[in-house]
Amino acid sequence: MKDSPQTADAYDLPHGRPPEGNNFAAIRAVTGFQLNRLMTKPRIAMGLVGALFPAAVMFAVIRTAPINRDMTVAMIYALIPEALCVLGLLVTMCPVVADELERGTWIHVTVRPGGRQSLLLGTFAAAVIWTGGVSLVSLMLTLLIAQPTQPIGLVVMFTVLIGISCIGRAALFAVPAVILPKRALIASVGVALVVEYFAGLLPAVVNQVTVSLRLRSLLVEWMAWRKDLPIEMTLFVDDYSAPVQIAAVCILVCILLTTAGFILNRRQFPPSVEN
Amino acid sequence: MLSLQNVTKLYGTVIGVNDVSAELGQGAHGLLGPNGAGKTTLLGLITGQLRPTIGSVNVFGEAPFGNRRILSRIGYCPAADLTERNATPREWVTYLMRLSGFDAAEAPRRAARALDEVGLGEACTRPLSTLSKGMRQRAKLAGAFAHDPDLLVLDEPFDGLDPVARHDLVHLVRMWSQTRSLIVASHLLHEVEALRADLAVILGGRLVANGSASEIRELVDALPTEVKFKTSSVDKLAQLACGAGVVETLYIPNEDTLIIGTRQAGRLADMVAKAVHDGLVVREVIAEDRTLEGIFSRLMKLHRGVEQ
Repeated sequence: MKDSPQTADAYDLPHGRPPEGNNFAAIRAVTGFQLNRLMTKPRIAMGLVGALFPAAVMFAVIRTAPINRDMTVAMIYALIPEALCVLGLLVTMCPVVADELERGTWIHVTVRPGGRQSLLLGTFAAAVIWTGGVSLVSLMLTLLIAQPTQPIGLVVMFTVLIGISCIGRAALFAVPAVILPKRALIASVGVALVVEYFAGLLPAVVNQVTVSLRLRSLLVEWMAWRKDLPIEMTLFVDDYSAPVQIAAVCILVCILLTTAGFILNRRQFPPSVEN
Repeated sequence: MLSLQNVTKLYGTVIGVNDVSAELGQGAHGLLGPNGAGKTTLLGLITGQLRPTIGSVNVFGEAPFGNRRILSRIGYCPAADLTERNATPREWVTYLMRLSGFDAAEAPRRAARALDEVGLGEACTRPLSTLSKGMRQRAKLAGAFAHDPDLLVLDEPFDGLDPVARHDLVHLVRMWSQTRSLIVASHLLHEVEALRADLAVILGGRLVANGSASEIRELVDALPTEVKFKTSSVDKLAQLACGAGVVETLYIPNEDTLIIGTRQAGRLADMVAKAVHDGLVVREVIAEDRTLEGIFSRLMKLHRGVEQ
């Protein structure tokens, strides 16, 4: 222990009023800290397994029978933006509150000005970066195995789709994560199944608020599949242009994150839960 | 500095804090109470973790819940152990400083200085999981004051510390409280007394007493002490005690037991000693619990109006 000062004046602590919070700095700090937490051996191994899974499926399929470019694209779409992204986000976004409570860091974070918002947005960013990174690695591996024609175009298209999938679904999972922190994983799986994979496939207005409709519509537009689609399949995609689809996802993300932030700002946990 | 007006906090049907009112000025204040008394809940209300169900909490004139301006002026060291295993104390405190709004250059500077103050300068690059509980406690403390708050709130801050570290940190915190405000919660009277803080005693979610340490002691000492006697001559002993004028209350629960409540335990003891010398048979004398738990229990009775 350092020799303690004898007078208050000699007490060598930095003086001056602390800032009232700098949102951007705090969000960056949380993002970096959460990414550090994800850089453990088990998490990296889990990410690698996740990245290898679509490539392994693709390998198994093309060994059985050669598939055309459209089929390859459809498979990659189903395996990466739809499946792998959702799985990755379930692991990284759902524990936004539960993890802090479990580690005893919730109090430390929330007593800081803007700590709750920074926690939400920083974890959101980390989840998108980590899941997006794993998905991109998986995309490269899968394309290497599938070896489709014009791979650069597919890389660009799928990178955008992965980005939209990660951002949209991370925001979607943020809501159950802050409402039911202790049951966030189960709640988010439920939300994924009911909202994304059930409501998203309903040919009704409700599918307009799903990310899966936007992703499918973008895929159909960018692959120029619309004119070849069977009439019954057109029910599952939207006619709007790509910028409109992307804007719709952005609006949805803003609404979902605002809702999650609003709820998180009001969350209170008794000390027994925190401890 | 702190104003609590009829503050009640309910967790469903469980009462965390019950109708607490207090005004605390600048300086050091100790919050004393046994485990489960509601100390952490009260600190949660003060530090903006919790919002009162009824009543109002004002720190520096404003409600702290969700108030960035007030939160930036509060430093909080919770009781729960840090289980952030992989981070080092330097990373952890820097992280907290970034959350407090300091930039990437200032945050590590403040973290290093605070860690040095709590004696973790050399161990600040070791993962928290490899540090002792006492060292993690110091890291928590550094995180609480590194942003230079106007009010430092510490929940059981000396838990897990060895005597030397405890002495040093008491000194450090006492120095702090000379220029800024401090609230320390503890279930150990001597810890709070060592900080020369005013005391507030909380029991069952209620604030049952407050004042300086000597005032609390006077209050406790002024309470009647119950002494239980086992004797075959209950009537005679009761008669002698009443005659000596030392009895506040008298209770005979069964034929060989006498319970006397007195504010003059010394005189009662002298009287009983004389009676025994004169041939009275007293098989057993049990004085009331004078431990802190006993004192808490008596303050609670006083608060409820059982003892006057």
